[in-house]
Amino acid sequence: MPRVFITGLGFITSIGNNADAVETSLRELRHGMVRYEPFKADNIPVKVAAPVAGFKTDGVDQEDWVIPAPYVVKREQLRSLSANALYATCAFQQAVADAKLSPEDVSNDDTGLYAASAGSPAMLGHQINRMREFGVMRCPPLGVVASIAGTVQFNLVAHFKIKGASTGFSSACASSAHALGFAHDEIALGRQKRMFVVGAEDGNTETILPFAAMRALSINPDPETASRPFDTGRDGFVGTGGATVLVLESEDEVLRRGVAPYAEVLGWGQASDGHNVAISHPDGAGLASAMRRALKASGVTAADLGYVNAHATSTPIGDASECKALRAVLGEHASRVAVSSTKALTGHGLSLAGAMESGFCALAIRRGFVPGSAHISQLDPICDGLNIVRATQPVSPGIVLNNSSGFGGANVCVVLKPAS
Amino acid sequence: MSDLVPAATIESDSPARRPGTFSAEEEAVVRESLRRCSEKTIEAAVAYRKTGSTAHLPALILGIFERFVEPDLRPRLAMGDSDDLRVIEDLGLDSLTMMEIVMLVEEVTKTQIANDELRHLSTIGDIKAFVDCRARGLPPPPVATTYASAALLEKMPIQPPFLFLDEARVSAVRATASYRITGQEFFLQGHFKDNPVMPASIMLEALGQLGVCYLLTGLPVEEGKKVDPATIFFASTDGVRCHRVCKPADVLTLSLKPKRVKAPLATFEGNIRVGSEKAVVAEEITLTFGLMDAPTPALAPAEAAPTPQAG
Repeated sequence: MPRVFITGLGFITSIGNNADAVETSLRELRHGMVRYEPFKADNIPVKVAAPVAGFKTDGVDQEDWVIPAPYVVKREQLRSLSANALYATCAFQQAVADAKLSPEDVSNDDTGLYAASAGSPAMLGHQINRMREFGVMRCPPLGVVASIAGTVQFNLVAHFKIKGASTGFSSACASSAHALGFAHDEIALGRQKRMFVVGAEDGNTETILPFAAMRALSINPDPETASRPFDTGRDGFVGTGGATVLVLESEDEVLRRGVAPYAEVLGWGQASDGHNVAISHPDGAGLASAMRRALKASGVTAADLGYVNAHATSTPIGDASECKALRAVLGEHASRVAVSSTKALTGHGLSLAGAMESGFCALAIRRGFVPGSAHISQLDPICDGLNIVRATQPVSPGIVLNNSSGFGGANVCVVLKPAS
Repeated sequence: MSDLVPAATIESDSPARRPGTFSAEEEAVVRESLRRCSEKTIEAAVAYRKTGSTAHLPALILGIFERFVEPDLRPRLAMGDSDDLRVIEDLGLDSLTMMEIVMLVEEVTKTQIANDELRHLSTIGDIKAFVDCRARGLPPPPVATTYASAALLEKMPIQPPFLFLDEARVSAVRATASYRITGQEFFLQGHFKDNPVMPASIMLEALGQLGVCYLLTGLPVEEGKKVDPATIFFASTDGVRCHRVCKPADVLTLSLKPKRVKAPLATFEGNIRVGSEKAVVAEEITLTFGLMDAPTPALAPAEAAPTPQAG
């Protein structure tokens, strides 16, 4: 089977809008949380979010948005974009430049794109309201493609003239890990030579705040501590948005183009909890199963792992389940393998999370560091026996496992290895 | 009155027929709808809605186009012949943008343009004429005829290698066409040596050919008669100025407006552009033509043999 490598990355995130800024934030544990202005109303218990810096995408009229240099988006393209598709467009350009891809490399029968995004609830709400108020013939003609769940791949595939496989994945917080896994398979099965993997989220009131009704968001008003996975004081996640794009290529393409990959995608695995629509299995059964499958598919064992980028979102139940699953899978290696959750810095990116964190892992592998798990003042005893690293370590992480879990108990794990 | 008023109500409430009922709230709505347009555009809209005078419509419609075209094309709209600009080919707007433009025109002028009507409107001039008729409560102007290259070959008495029109579009008041200089034209071998340049005489010939196309489109010239294709010849031209050398790969955009058409003479004014650059201007081009009996359409409905595509 063809081997699969990550050769390019693009980031628009709460902790940086390019790889260098992201690396600095991960090394220095700089977080992206703020007291979020749209949450200031008294009847909103949540106060902190982790918005993307530099962009101004509030408001449903795209021509009012502020897009930072060097990105320029023509009106013709802008009118079909939601905020997350805009972030994805920018991250895509970064990833293409990073991977040194020519226009011909991007647009051909052997290059595809898999995306993950929940669509744009803000845009959708606006469309529906306008349809009810003014009638459907007064709605923007491209309102549909700017709002529904496939918006990211519709826009990117058309704009960047992608000709290979394209689709979107919808498994909530596991979506872009699914996209990465299946994109790996497209190349491993010889169907495509190159795949773009895109995760994106608006990260605004409409995507984040509904989780408050579920009591899943942190009501801690302090941006310094609101997101603290594995800490005893954790009380929910902090929402974020943005986009990450990964370029996956076959070994042949890597050799043909003569580029140095970030990492090899060794394999992946998935399993479902079969337990509850929104609550993770108390023992993390599905997640443990997904980790085992990922290791098996990758031809490695827990003994080979150096670092796990945990899903841990800073919710009391979710982090506890994952700790149990990790202990079960890592076994005698649990006290050695470094574990951290970068969501302490970024917040939880929902559909963006898997791609963003796999992107972080690829960056950590190439640049030689193990991201720390920030904001832990009192480590929860549920982490007993695990090596939760609380500061970034300037050492190569070795083989990395990246966990993602979504609604319905979907669990996806991806294994990355330094390229050799 | 809000935008919610159903179409039928808007028709009967048309400001053209009932001026002076334009409230401050309505003006605020118009200003909000046109907030990305120039002040001149907004003023034209407000004046139109206040007075019902269709004299304000051209500025309003041009201003709405200006708002939607890419900034680098806006100067093109300020040139005198903007009515000839084709929305898709010349302004680079796609059909969805056209729909946005129409929605805004509808909203601001309180008119309705149906999808099937929209299909026939391809130049700014078409849209101006259409909205003008609609505002006056008149039937829309006759639909223009578009000829793709195959239809042109069937229609024209002039054939390759001497036909210099790739596609054409003819309405009662205007004919436009395009021709891409391929570089394979036989006369370019000698005009000039190692330096192919489209002869000015050939460019006038192309304008004349567009005049032929206009005459043969079947617009009524005389009751029960039509133009005989075998009788059309170049008669004269006047006031010709050449502004630009045209070479292979240039796309000529030809435009012709009839000034007088009465057998045996048809006089036009015409020009040729390459992109936004003026290439040739002819103040007068005159063709002679003869008439033949035309069967009445009721007796011979299949007479429209060339089946030109409607735009």
